[in-house]
Amino acid sequence: MIKRCAYHFFRWFCHPDYFDEIQGDLEELYQRNIERGDRVAQWKYLLQVLVLFRPSLMRSFFYYSLINPAMFRNYLTTSTRNLLRYKLFTTINILGLAIGLASFLLISEYVRFEESYDHFFTNADQIYRLSTVQKMNGEVGVKDAMTYHPAPKVLKDELPEVKEATVTYKFKELIFRQEESVIQEKQVIAADSNFFNVFDYQIIQGLSETMLTEPYSLVLTESKARFYFGDQDPLGQTLQVLGTFNRPFKVTGVMQDVPENTHYKFDMLVSDGSIKERVEQDGWNGFNYYAFVMLDQYAKPSSLDEKLTALSRKYLGDETSMFFTLYPVNDIHLKSDYTYEAEPPGSERAVVFLRIISLFILLIAWVNYINLSTARAVNRAKEVGLRKAVGALKGQLMSQFLLEALLVNLLAAFVAWLVSELLLPYFNQLVGKQVLPHVWNHPSFMISLLVFFLVGTFVSGFYPALVLSGFRTVTVLKGKFRNSRSGTTLRKSLVIVQFAASFVLIASTFIVFRQIKFMQGEDTGLVTDYVVGISLPRVERGQWEAHNNQVASFSNLLQNHTAVETVGGTGYLPGGSGGDINSASGLLRVVGLTEQMTGTTYMNHIDDRFLGTVEIPLLAGRNFDRNRTADTAVVLVNQAFLRRLNIADAESVVNKQMQVGGEDGDKLEIIGVVRDFNRTSLKSNVEPTVYLPDYSPASLVVKLRPEQYQQGLAYLQETWSDFFPNAPLDYSFLDDRFAALYEQDQRFGDIFATFSGLAIFIAMLGLFGLSSFMAAQRTAEVGVRKVLGATVPSIIGIFYRDFLVLLGIAGLISLPAVYYSMNGWLQSYAYRIDFPWLLAGVALLIVVFFALLTVGYQVYQVAVLNPAKTLRHE
Amino acid sequence: MKSYPLGEFEEIVLLTIGVLYNEAYGVAIKDAIEERAERKVSVGALQSALKRMEKKGYLESRQGEANAQRGGKPKHYYTITAFGKLALQQNRDIRNTLWESIPKLALDFKLS
Repeated sequence: MIKRCAYHFFRWFCHPDYFDEIQGDLEELYQRNIERGDRVAQWKYLLQVLVLFRPSLMRSFFYYSLINPAMFRNYLTTSTRNLLRYKLFTTINILGLAIGLASFLLISEYVRFEESYDHFFTNADQIYRLSTVQKMNGEVGVKDAMTYHPAPKVLKDELPEVKEATVTYKFKELIFRQEESVIQEKQVIAADSNFFNVFDYQIIQGLSETMLTEPYSLVLTESKARFYFGDQDPLGQTLQVLGTFNRPFKVTGVMQDVPENTHYKFDMLVSDGSIKERVEQDGWNGFNYYAFVMLDQYAKPSSLDEKLTALSRKYLGDETSMFFTLYPVNDIHLKSDYTYEAEPPGSERAVVFLRIISLFILLIAWVNYINLSTARAVNRAKEVGLRKAVGALKGQLMSQFLLEALLVNLLAAFVAWLVSELLLPYFNQLVGKQVLPHVWNHPSFMISLLVFFLVGTFVSGFYPALVLSGFRTVTVLKGKFRNSRSGTTLRKSLVIVQFAASFVLIASTFIVFRQIKFMQGEDTGLVTDYVVGISLPRVERGQWEAHNNQVASFSNLLQNHTAVETVGGTGYLPGGSGGDINSASGLLRVVGLTEQMTGTTYMNHIDDRFLGTVEIPLLAGRNFDRNRTADTAVVLVNQAFLRRLNIADAESVVNKQMQVGGEDGDKLEIIGVVRDFNRTSLKSNVEPTVYLPDYSPASLVVKLRPEQYQQGLAYLQETWSDFFPNAPLDYSFLDDRFAALYEQDQRFGDIFATFSGLAIFIAMLGLFGLSSFMAAQRTAEVGVRKVLGATVPSIIGIFYRDFLVLLGIAGLISLPAVYYSMNGWLQSYAYRIDFPWLLAGVALLIVVFFALLTVGYQVYQVAVLNPAKTLRHE
Repeated sequence: MKSYPLGEFEEIVLLTIGVLYNEAYGVAIKDAIEERAERKVSVGALQSALKRMEKKGYLESRQGEANAQRGGKPKHYYTITAFGKLALQQNRDIRNTLWESIPKLALDFKLS
């Protein structure tokens, strides 16, 4: 048996000339070995056959193929000659493919980066964030990313599926002192000692188990350690934290820098024990903590739903509307729809859009190659005919033309590689992230380059190779050869695809920009010109009174300066992120007007000058007044609040009592109705909001006189350092704050525009080549027409007719595509434009314009030729 | 001087063929090498060396009679050509020259 297999194997691979001799030797040896047992002999036989499996004794396996050195050389020569002979077409092909490939690969890397968020933890798919979701009557209300401080520990103790749990608190900022200067650190979190059990960051110095146990311990990332301590050993050193803490923190550990691709970034960790007071105060009341749990390998989060509901009831009371929920950490960056995210999440939709653009670009580039090669097949027809006449097989011709495609694609891949390396800094800038430092040493980029170079070779080269190798020898050599009809149809459909893709991209770009412009220009309801927002320092412990006096005299001093119009106080500066506000959920009614209702109400504390500073009018009633001592249990409400309670008449609520928290709840007198204004981006609606009076606010808005705003700013800085020497001044114009809200959208628009531009460029490049060839082909026809009296415009018109039909079809196909995709995109904005049909029309006109310009240029070149010259050879 | 490259194994095979004179076919060569040079030789190694040297022109081959012991396949006999002889000669000369150029002291070892 073994011998039989070995024999057949040997017979299969052995060179026929050698077979008899070697087989004889083997048989002889086998016969001799048989004395020592049949099995032994068979195994020896097999062994010998295996050792015989070497190239020098093998037959040729590649008889009819490229691995025939002489023919290979010949193919290479012909291909090179052809590429060099038609330089214009070679350049168009290589340039198009290179730009296409480079764009596609760079976008792919960006997409890969966006999708890699938080995947780098060892057990990333087992890590979940414990969040809080409001559910009332089975309906999901506000989804809050944060949870209660004791919650994760409860989960770990009571649910066997939860293996690890950690709770963290993200500081808005902490102020550190380094020698004489104060440094504002915005990325500081407090974490308990389980933190590193869930997130396996690499610890460089210190013990991960103990470094967060003691209160007032501090763990620095590598770069922060270098920043504060240089080359010294940071372990055991202390850093002074100002503000509420006002005490030294001891450095107990150094960890790796937190990578860019995590949603929860930080530069420093302080131990959970350091914020004990805050934790005790919040207890089961305040959900201000990001908590994470690691589930058992086999646990399913969906199976935990019921247990979580039970736990919520157990700890938050039977009547609770807040429920614990688990959200996979892997999905946070792209899919989260929670408020109070640690950083503004990315957009899955944007990622999908970009992926589509990148595919479009690559497709357009490949289509260019297919179109140009098949259109110019006529040039190669004679060569193919001759090769066939002397005995070339179809397979051989196909491999020849595939080799040619390979050559073009190889050059294109090389150019793409260079281009992406050179343009990478601009690309990183465009997407606003350091996606890759370099491409040339990035394994995934290089692998993609290789893969798509090969795929591209096949996709772009296969059809032309099929067409070229399929020519009938006799027809071709007779010299009366024209392109086949089916080839033209395919080419036309491909041109339609290109036009359609270009149109979709241009129209979408326009719509994205129009929407952004709309949001930026839309009236937010408040006047932010020359209004500066300042965050005041946090109050130090036991110094409320002193602090309030300080803030009061600070704002009075500003108020009295000539460059300042007014100064208002507010809990939250307008133009912040969506989560920048407090909210309360529970029963609520306006006594005498409405029944008890549940729902989330947003709250802001403002002083009596805030509304005036940003020029928000009152629709009814009156503003707060700091001189009325009775103005304590009073509120202002906004229009959205009235809409929620189905109250049409603003006047009717004035002087009515608002009751929160059921029948025994506190009553507040509504003294006025504020016109709606957007406190954040126009992606979200104006929330039902109540405004409570507060004369020692957390932030100030300062309206400067336009003509003196420079002095105003200077004065502001000067006064600030007199009053708050320990805190750096953090101010920004409200205009800038609002503009910054649209940064992501703007960036998305920019990326979209850039790559749409490139796609159209490549498409036009292809059209340029194609029309130049077609015009050249029809030189004689044009000559005859001219002789018979046709004018240049009428000749161009004849060519245009063909292309206009194609453009029309492309428009018809792509308009619905644009409509459905972009309307879907617009739906994600609370304030949005209607689908701009006019703009879509303009986009179509632009494609038509560029297409006709390209074609017209080429036809014109032929049309102006003197027929006497063009017809001389006919 | 024209060079006739010859590897170490090739040289042994060539010499063995010389030794066997008219009886040099695959299995015989293999046996002879295994006996005289005291080394194991696989059919693969031997055959590829034979084919290589035949291509270089050091060997000629002729077909012998069919043989039942060989499963009806004929023996394939090899003989050295003039080029083969030259190659062997050249190899030997090079070695001789090298041997003679070694200073006496360099090889003054004793095996204990």
